[in-house]
Amino acid sequence: MSGGCAERNVLAGPEPDRRTDDAAVSAPAPSAAPMVLTCRVRSGNTNQTIGAAGRSRREVVQAVALAALVGATGSLSGCGLFGGEPDPPPPDPLAPLITGALDLAARHEAAIAAFPDLADRLRPVAEAHRAHAAELSRVTGTALPSPTATVPGTDPGAGSSTALLGQLREAERQGREAAAQACAGAPADRAALVGSIAAARATHLEVLR
Amino acid sequence: MSEALAAALAAEHAAIYAYGLIGVRLSDGAAEQARSAEAAHRSRRDGLVLLLTERGGPVPVAEPAYELPFAVTDEASALRLAVEVEERTAAVWRAALPATEGADRTRALNGLTDAAVRATRWRRTAGVNPATVPFPGRPT
Repeated sequence: MSGGCAERNVLAGPEPDRRTDDAAVSAPAPSAAPMVLTCRVRSGNTNQTIGAAGRSRREVVQAVALAALVGATGSLSGCGLFGGEPDPPPPDPLAPLITGALDLAARHEAAIAAFPDLADRLRPVAEAHRAHAAELSRVTGTALPSPTATVPGTDPGAGSSTALLGQLREAERQGREAAAQACAGAPADRAALVGSIAAARATHLEVLR
Repeated sequence: MSEALAAALAAEHAAIYAYGLIGVRLSDGAAEQARSAEAAHRSRRDGLVLLLTERGGPVPVAEPAYELPFAVTDEASALRLAVEVEERTAAVWRAALPATEGADRTRALNGLTDAAVRATRWRRTAGVNPATVPFPGRPT
């Protein structure tokens, strides 16, 4: 290949380095942009990534400082001197996404219980939602609730598997929208995870057809 | 931000090249699927060329050819490459997410989502089970 960096060729490589770690985003930028696929994560976006992350960190610092001020004011007026309880920390912005992932997992698991024939298709989807919840729990430092999740809005006993798949599609569609919105507003260090979750939910619609 | 999108453009160039080789090995529904996927990549490419040109930054051009990760000799290898191309394209768009915000972030998410959906369709066409992955575009 031209450019003298055949190892970076998008499509090339006997054992393509396609599973680059996220950390590689901040690896040095290559000189040849078009050869993307084998070095896609490394190609060229490093400075921008760092720059964007830097801005984001500043924003976070500002937000934290602001929160500290507000918190201090709150503790002065609300408690401290008179022994009141400090206000609990606000819920993480991704908390609804965790709840949603657990709900989606429970829906698919209930569907499998009602229609075991669907297990081949739905089991990987249910497992993906569990994996999403676990990863969101890890990055937000939130404990997952005990696995006795309720399954709202699903009544597998009444109705056909076709109707049930329709309900699951609608739930996935709403879940994809929620994740896409969360991705749009997520800080840089969470954007990729939340984006993958939104994309995964879109792919679930494919296997529910 | 524009560098992440330039990387995405380079990936779209490569994907379009790959589909030229994939399409000729497929027939009927799969061939149509390849045409549709290639058109989607061309549309993304055109949007990025326009955007990056407006911004005055580097606008990567397509290479005359790209070395494939494996030879495409029949339908099975064509389907395998189609999955591969979409997975890799998804990864490039995903890598653009942390580097972007606002409309560019949305563009990156759409690129990731569309590539992930096409990867799933190709896995189903190829009979790969499961057809989905838990974290599209994420290195594993």
